[in-house]
Amino acid sequence: MSTDIQKKAIPYLLILPSFALIALFVVYPILNSVIRSFRHPDTGTFTLANYLYFFTDPIQLSNIGYTVFVTVTTVLLTLLFAYPFSIYLRFSNSRLSRWIYGLNLLPRFVPGLVAVYAVMLVINDAGVINRIGRIFGLNIQMGLLHNAKSIIIMNLWFNIPFATLIITAALFGLKASVIESARDIGASKLTIFTKIILPLSYKDALIAVTFVFMSNIGSFTTPYLVGGNAPKMLGIALFDQFNSYMAYERAAALSFIMFLICSISSFIYIYVNLKESKWEQR
Amino acid sequence: MKNSVKILCVLLVVSALLMGCASNGAEDGKKTVTIWSYGSDNVKTTFEKLANAFNKSEHGKKYQMKVEFISSGSNAQSLLDRTIAAKKAGKKNTDYDLIEVSDAELAAYQSEGGDDFFQKLDTSKMPNAKNVKAKLSTGQDILMPYRGTTVVLAYDSAKVSNPPKTADELYQWIKDHKGKFAYNSPSTGGAGGSFVTTSVYNQLPEEALVSSDEKWSKEWTPGFKLLKALHPYFYQSGGKTVYPNKNQGTLDLLANQQIEMTPAWVDQVVNEINSGILPKSIKMVQMDPAFTGNLASLAIPKIGGNKDGAYAVMDFMISKEAQTILLDEMGAFPVIDSSDIKSDNTKMISKFDVSTFRTSSIGVLGQELLKKWDEEIATLK
Repeated sequence: MSTDIQKKAIPYLLILPSFALIALFVVYPILNSVIRSFRHPDTGTFTLANYLYFFTDPIQLSNIGYTVFVTVTTVLLTLLFAYPFSIYLRFSNSRLSRWIYGLNLLPRFVPGLVAVYAVMLVINDAGVINRIGRIFGLNIQMGLLHNAKSIIIMNLWFNIPFATLIITAALFGLKASVIESARDIGASKLTIFTKIILPLSYKDALIAVTFVFMSNIGSFTTPYLVGGNAPKMLGIALFDQFNSYMAYERAAALSFIMFLICSISSFIYIYVNLKESKWEQR
Repeated sequence: MKNSVKILCVLLVVSALLMGCASNGAEDGKKTVTIWSYGSDNVKTTFEKLANAFNKSEHGKKYQMKVEFISSGSNAQSLLDRTIAAKKAGKKNTDYDLIEVSDAELAAYQSEGGDDFFQKLDTSKMPNAKNVKAKLSTGQDILMPYRGTTVVLAYDSAKVSNPPKTADELYQWIKDHKGKFAYNSPSTGGAGGSFVTTSVYNQLPEEALVSSDEKWSKEWTPGFKLLKALHPYFYQSGGKTVYPNKNQGTLDLLANQQIEMTPAWVDQVVNEINSGILPKSIKMVQMDPAFTGNLASLAIPKIGGNKDGAYAVMDFMISKEAQTILLDEMGAFPVIDSSDIKSDNTKMISKFDVSTFRTSSIGVLGQELLKKWDEEIATLK
């Protein structure tokens, strides 16, 4: 056996198991459902009807709009909270900020279902807030559950710590000496932010955003437990198609539509990752 | 040369990882009987208890009962898919010795797997069969009911002293007590499903409830009118009527006193009163005409490899011993006379009679009903 061939073969052998797993459990099911989404449920012939249904039926259209609305709101609010929060965690040396940084990891260890029930317990119309209010003779019913508000609140619960983690990690990679030297030559705080911190961290913020976007488009548990009856997030609409109506072809079409919506953000992710800033090219 | 040894090691590890290990044979020469069921976790633990009891019983000297369980969430549909696929692949002597089939599913099995998919039951092989009181609406010669449950009206007796007794009284009560009644969205749980089904089918001849004939779907309008008329009187949150998801959704509202009444499964209420999730003040009452119930049944597919063992397990499942376990563990209705079964749960269920269960079997119309509800009721402002 020549060692040359061995050297070339070993890397392929090593990636073979993971490649086979991806082909079997990711590529094959996706292809399978794409093919199925173009099939007529009864005759099996080629049709676009499964897709047309989702873009013409008023209920499904409002589901798609609702999902995009909830997801985009979640993404914007997450960024709004997480970015300043990360800057605080990075540049404050107080003991409080160390504590918060530690606490920020905690939600990662709480199972999603538990978190949803915990929040429901607090904000429902007879929940903790209402009960505390009753002690003071107030009947506080916020009506937060079973609509978009509760889904967004829950999404923020999950995503702010997550986005903060990514952005803070990026900010810690920023050398303190760079900022100090800028300060030495008289740069204002605003200048330091716009000229140094922002350009060096926006990429990671965008990456966090794409992750948040993708994980919320198809979310199921949160909208299932706290969402309303109509309109529905697409994850629930998909569940209805295959579980309640047993319309497998439409379910396949909807999954592909969700896949397409997600790929917009994966495109951004890949683009940002490949794009080099001007000063990095050399 | 050393390198090729390394490669060999890598290959060995990889293949060991990929192969996994699956082999099981019967112990000590006993023939294994595999029983397939599905549902939530309490069903699973009950089945494991039943298997232990069976293996210790007289039958256990000849047969070893083994439980294969498909947890809900992984989609119970797959038991149907799996057995049909096995039959279509021409397999015989499979381990589908005994499977759980509801009367509503029977039609699907027969249309996909053929009318002769199941063994016709030979009651002479089951001495306990003569004690079974529960009556199925379809498939009497194929299915053996082994436990029942039904939807009833659960109410908080601390707030409601005089609960409605007929469906019309219930509809009137809902209108008189705005926001104090809720049912869960029907596609997410059978309790709300039963409320919707009965609200629609109470307006139709009784025969419609056991027919999958398309013509009945044209008669649904008065029922849906009723549901629409009641819509503003149901439980509200944030100024909007809300139909919580899942059977548990409305029971949670009942537990924290946001509502006073809800349709609920008897076994679920019994279990939750016992475990303290629901307060002791929750009581149950059946309507006239009743909410629909369900008889869970077992059937023997012809592709099963151990017919005699399957009969033995089936016979055991309708014995007093197994029925007591089912009542204790799950609050399930015994299918035999419950008066001589000793269980703490007997008192709670004694007023409901398993032989008068109202069952629905509307086949594919069930999916259409859910869809119509999603389109017309869920979207109401």
